[in-house]
Amino acid sequence: MAGFLQQVVEGLGAGAVYASLALALVLIYQFTGIVNFAQGELAMFSAYVAWQAMAAGLPFWAALALTLAVSFAGGMLIERIVIRLVEGAPELTLVIVTVGLFIFVNAAAGWIWTFLIKDFPNPFPRGALEVGGVSVGFSTLGVLGVVALVMGLLYLLFQHTKIGLGMRAVAANPDSARLVGIRVGRTLALGWGLAATVGAVSGVLVAPLLFLEPNMMGGVLIYAFAAATLGGFDSPAGAVAGGVIVGVAETLAGAYVPAVGSDLKIGVPLAIILGVLLVRPRGLFGRAVVERA
Amino acid sequence: MSFLVVEGLVVGYGEARVLHGVDLSVAEGEICAILGPNGAGKTTLLRALSGMVRARGVIRLGGTALTGRPPDAVARLGVAHVPEGRGTFMPLTVEENLRLGAFVRRGGREVEDDLDRVCSWFPPLRDRLGQVAGSLSGGEQQMLALGRALMLRPKVLLLDEPSLGLAPLVTRELFRIVQAINQEERTTVVVVEQNAHLALGVARQAHVLETGRIVLSGTAERIRADEQVAQSYLGYRV
Repeated sequence: MAGFLQQVVEGLGAGAVYASLALALVLIYQFTGIVNFAQGELAMFSAYVAWQAMAAGLPFWAALALTLAVSFAGGMLIERIVIRLVEGAPELTLVIVTVGLFIFVNAAAGWIWTFLIKDFPNPFPRGALEVGGVSVGFSTLGVLGVVALVMGLLYLLFQHTKIGLGMRAVAANPDSARLVGIRVGRTLALGWGLAATVGAVSGVLVAPLLFLEPNMMGGVLIYAFAAATLGGFDSPAGAVAGGVIVGVAETLAGAYVPAVGSDLKIGVPLAIILGVLLVRPRGLFGRAVVERA
Repeated sequence: MSFLVVEGLVVGYGEARVLHGVDLSVAEGEICAILGPNGAGKTTLLRALSGMVRARGVIRLGGTALTGRPPDAVARLGVAHVPEGRGTFMPLTVEENLRLGAFVRRGGREVEDDLDRVCSWFPPLRDRLGQVAGSLSGGEQQMLALGRALMLRPKVLLLDEPSLGLAPLVTRELFRIVQAINQEERTTVVVVEQNAHLALGVARQAHVLETGRIVLSGTAERIRADEQVAQSYLGYRV
């Protein structure tokens, strides 16, 4: 039993990381209807920015603050310069553009920092909390705490500020949002900035668990897609729940299904994506799109 | 004297021209009805006024040129547009929808008072402030759309087919409220309507739009008395 709980705890930690990237995916999808394939690469780039800041001598938390600011500005800039050009274009165009962005950011990171792996410090203390035979790493607790904090802040922003209300209005009905005087273009840029910031958090959380290198987010992105699909692409809370479920499912499958093991674990999110799309395409928490004929 | 002035307004979607040089002038504090058949360009005219479609020509509001301004800028100048289809923010609550109407205003006492005022005009909304707007009936959604527009404290209210899809009783009540608001607040109203009876009942001036041109203008009484209008839009001969 303790062994099983141990696996669940490991899964929760992994799931929290997937959840944070899924949250970023969902934010952008809600605002623009774009599935941003480059979200993971932007997060990776943010992790490099943090690494660079620390290499320059900044302490971790100062480097994090700087990274979040840079990511926010970067996200807004990408929306203004790249995404603005294809606003309202067919979905295939948007997919191609974000895939292009994926390749560009990946190559840019390789060009700037090389493809050699770098060590990334873990901001949380070593060691673990022993609870009834289950050991919960401080690192796992830290990751869960950070993701909960991000969730909480987003909730406050969306539910209790005027900017948040404006953002939800734009997501719900952009034309109508324009008519009440909201500057929709700016709001969309803000949404991209916000998503890039949330993504940066996941990048910084992932980097110490894996190693920092330009391809580190590839796998995480697939888990995040599974999380967003499972939770419902239009539901931030669903994305987090989906992330946690995917993390736990992946860990348990790796531990208890011999055929899966650690090599085939990446198949788990793909199976989840396929299963959800077949059985409940809108996800657990998503709204079904109903349109009158 | 004229508050809202439109001169030589031309609008086209791609190759197809919808408005061919519309002239219009609306006095401050009056209700002006735009009548006309389907496809005449009524909705496009309103969309041009609020900046939702690109237009050539002159649109002036109390001396300020509106042509070429984006909708959010036009809203800031005090033009509230209740669009075709009502423009409800479906997943948001009724209260959030109303507060969004006052988005460009500084919050505070006045906005709270206006929220209360809108609720007293539309009592069903007060009971549903916390409810998701998508769950409202058609009539309630039209009230919400009107309430949202009023939260701007608009100088000009643009209404696109407020009667569409509503029961006659509900529609009459809505028009009664529009008239009351116009009288109490001196809000200028431009209403596009297929139900000519209703529109002429509240309007002072009326214009008939056909295939992108104004073919007839005058006081509501005059338009009502016009034989052509009577046949086309009122369903009887004078």
